Amino acid sequence: MKSGNPILREGVGLGLLILAQSFAAFFFLSDIFFDFIKQGSQIFNSGDTSHLILEVAAAVTLIASVGFEVRYLIRLLLRQEELTRGMQIASGALHDLMQAYYADWRLTPSEQDVAGFAIKGASIAEIAELRGSAQGTIKAHLNAIYRKAGVAGRGELISLLIEDLMSAPLMNGGVASQNAELGP
Amino acid sequence: MENRKVWDPVVRLTHWGVALGIVLNGAVIDDESKFHTRVGYTVLALVVLRLVWGLVGSRHARFADFPPNPSASMDQLSDMVSGRKRIHLGHTPLGALMIYNLWASILLIGLSGYMMTTTAFWGIEWVEEMHELFANWVYFSALLHVVAVILESRRTGVNLPRSMVTGVKSVPSEKV
Repeated sequence: MKSGNPILREGVGLGLLILAQSFAAFFFLSDIFFDFIKQGSQIFNSGDTSHLILEVAAAVTLIASVGFEVRYLIRLLLRQEELTRGMQIASGALHDLMQAYYADWRLTPSEQDVAGFAIKGASIAEIAELRGSAQGTIKAHLNAIYRKAGVAGRGELISLLIEDLMSAPLMNGGVASQNAELGP
Repeated sequence: MENRKVWDPVVRLTHWGVALGIVLNGAVIDDESKFHTRVGYTVLALVVLRLVWGLVGSRHARFADFPPNPSASMDQLSDMVSGRKRIHLGHTPLGALMIYNLWASILLIGLSGYMMTTTAFWGIEWVEEMHELFANWVYFSALLHVVAVILESRRTGVNLPRSMVTGVKSVPSEKV
């Protein structure tokens, strides 16, 4: 979770609101309590009944809204949890899938490395820099990868993986339905 | 289970000293009495001692060991709602926020309390209001603190109140 994350900001804001409201409720309740200790049952006969009613009403509504906010916060946190877990499973699945294809295509270790970078979207210059080799070498690796995989280029290579990921149910379809719920 | 020494004697002494002083001044001693003032100053002295200890004390007593961290605090909340056990040896992120909150509030109570004894501010209403407001806030915070300690002890299976007495946390070996 990075700072500046909207869920983090929403959670912190909600937490502060819950704190402020429960403090106010606590304040009213303790006031009622001490009035009661001081005055006993006289509290209902004194001229201050409207004060008492108001305080009780304020405390009750505050407690109710704190209850709703806490429930919302818990849901928010659980949803974030599920998304994170779903992402981990998805990236694990992608990794497994890539390994399976590499084995199928009999890529050499260097070719596997280059394919990994290419799938992640690195340019030829960047891959050359990362691997400390010449751009020509990387181009040769890429051509070998495309030839072994039987694809025309990087776009088709990635499509292969995505197609498989979308047709295979992850987490018993959990992630797919979650992503659908998130929608645009 | 593995026993880890986490709270040094200064941390424990100041924790229980402050807790005792706050209960005494709020619920036992008459507000107008001299004793109330004395207890208040003692609590202030303990907090100041603890603040100095935050710079020079043992590892988990230092501020650097528990910086205020909103993101880690939210992570801890997630752990709490999903019931995941992640054990912090020192103060937890939410615990740290509570500590800074209590220190700041107690210092403000001490300041307003002192002001009430000076000729310049004696009998001035907003000073008294401030003293009471922050006292109420500290009671609210203490209640929250106790509830959180109970919940966290149950979630993590580490007896937190006992560790604040003995200074030792018993934690599952593989979690450290």
